[in-house]
Amino acid sequence: MNVEDVFSSRLRMKILKILFNVGELNVSEIARRLRINYISATKHLKILEDEGILQRKMFGRIRLYRVNEQSPKTKALQNLIDAWEHQNEK
Amino acid sequence: MSQGRSVFRDETKLDINYVPRRLPHREHELGLLRGFLGFALKSPGRMAQRVIITGDVGTGKTALSHRFGADIGHEASTRGINLRYVHVNCREYGGSLFLILQHVVSVFHPNFPKRGYSAEELLRTLMQILDEENACIILSLDEFESLVKREGSEAVYKLTRLQETRQNKPQRLSLVCILRNLDTVKQLDASTRSTLQSNIISLDRYAKQQLVDILNDRVSLAFEPLAVPEGTVTLIAELAFSESGNARFGIELLWRAGKYADAEGFDTVTPECVREAVSSIFPAMRRGDLATLGLHEKLFLLAIARIFKENQKASISLSEAEQTYTVVCEEFDASPISHTQLWKYLKDFSNLGIVETQVSGTGSRGRSTTISLPRIPAHELEKELRSFFEKRLEKS
Repeated sequence: MNVEDVFSSRLRMKILKILFNVGELNVSEIARRLRINYISATKHLKILEDEGILQRKMFGRIRLYRVNEQSPKTKALQNLIDAWEHQNEK
Repeated sequence: MSQGRSVFRDETKLDINYVPRRLPHREHELGLLRGFLGFALKSPGRMAQRVIITGDVGTGKTALSHRFGADIGHEASTRGINLRYVHVNCREYGGSLFLILQHVVSVFHPNFPKRGYSAEELLRTLMQILDEENACIILSLDEFESLVKREGSEAVYKLTRLQETRQNKPQRLSLVCILRNLDTVKQLDASTRSTLQSNIISLDRYAKQQLVDILNDRVSLAFEPLAVPEGTVTLIAELAFSESGNARFGIELLWRAGKYADAEGFDTVTPECVREAVSSIFPAMRRGDLATLGLHEKLFLLAIARIFKENQKASISLSEAEQTYTVVCEEFDASPISHTQLWKYLKDFSNLGIVETQVSGTGSRGRSTTISLPRIPAHELEKELRSFFEKRLEKS
């Protein structure tokens, strides 16, 4: 997926902000925090996972997502979000 | 004492959750625990064990387990072994296996969802996490009774027989079950009992001198030098001993007595501070008990209260009490009664829990009785008794 396609979604950016903040969450909790339905959350999470930005772990029926700290994309994103949020706080 | 100064150097060392580096008089038991679970360092994953720690309240069960956990955790990280010690108080989780396991899983995944699965799934999840992280866990289940009461044999069976469903996989979960009374284990079914009962560490009640040693250790950690006299430590040790050798009670009392000393602006924690502290823990002095005492019983008790009020001794001799009693009799125009009768009164006071007495061993010069006033502040006792006599004078 092109970079403009990955970042064209407000929800995907919000998912990233949440996961950078809390580290790890299951799909239902991400959906609850964003006030979106489970299927929609799953769709966006899959896109971010396919890009290698997120990692998924399965524990039975539970799916936990976290940022993939090994990915250079994740590090770049972390810097971008930090700089952006920090700038807005000033 | 100048304003703002305190008898404490570091009162956190008296906190219920503080685990001292040294556990006086529990060195042997700590060695046993290391012996039972030491394989976790030597050959992690090759073996799992279950240990029971049992003993009365305040015998150091929790402290023993925590000390062991901190030591083995430190040693494991030094050796690069992924071994976690997790301590769970089952009562805090209402004895629910689900909530206990959820807490354990949250050690690895803090945001693991709180609902939507069963305790069995959670146990499988825990084992999956341990397998993926190549970790072993020593799970300490404090107040184990609570788990047995709520979940019965089934939950304990699941925990102890877990490995049987994991043929040829590393053994990752060892248990330390902490409970007051082994009768709890007897309630379990035979197969669960058999897996649990092999390694038992029984902690005896602390003896008086052992309590003195424990308290002295804490005094040196928590208080300024010379702030706690020997007599105060002895008095607290006696009280803790009478509370079934409960060291935790003694340590709490030590802290409370220190607080009273600070409030009064004292340089030292006096026995009177201890009595104040005790009266705040125990039910207040029962006025009814005092009202039923006869004239000479009251006079004798007043004499005892006055001695304790005027000096800072932890205990006094019967002869000292008798001498002051004679003076008190003179003050209230009464003729002193015999030594034997006073000795009987003293036994009654002891039975009522007002004083405590101790008779020294027989020697060439006979026995001597010492009296201590552990639970009631001397000044309060004196005030109560004086008010009886003042009312009596008003009536006459």
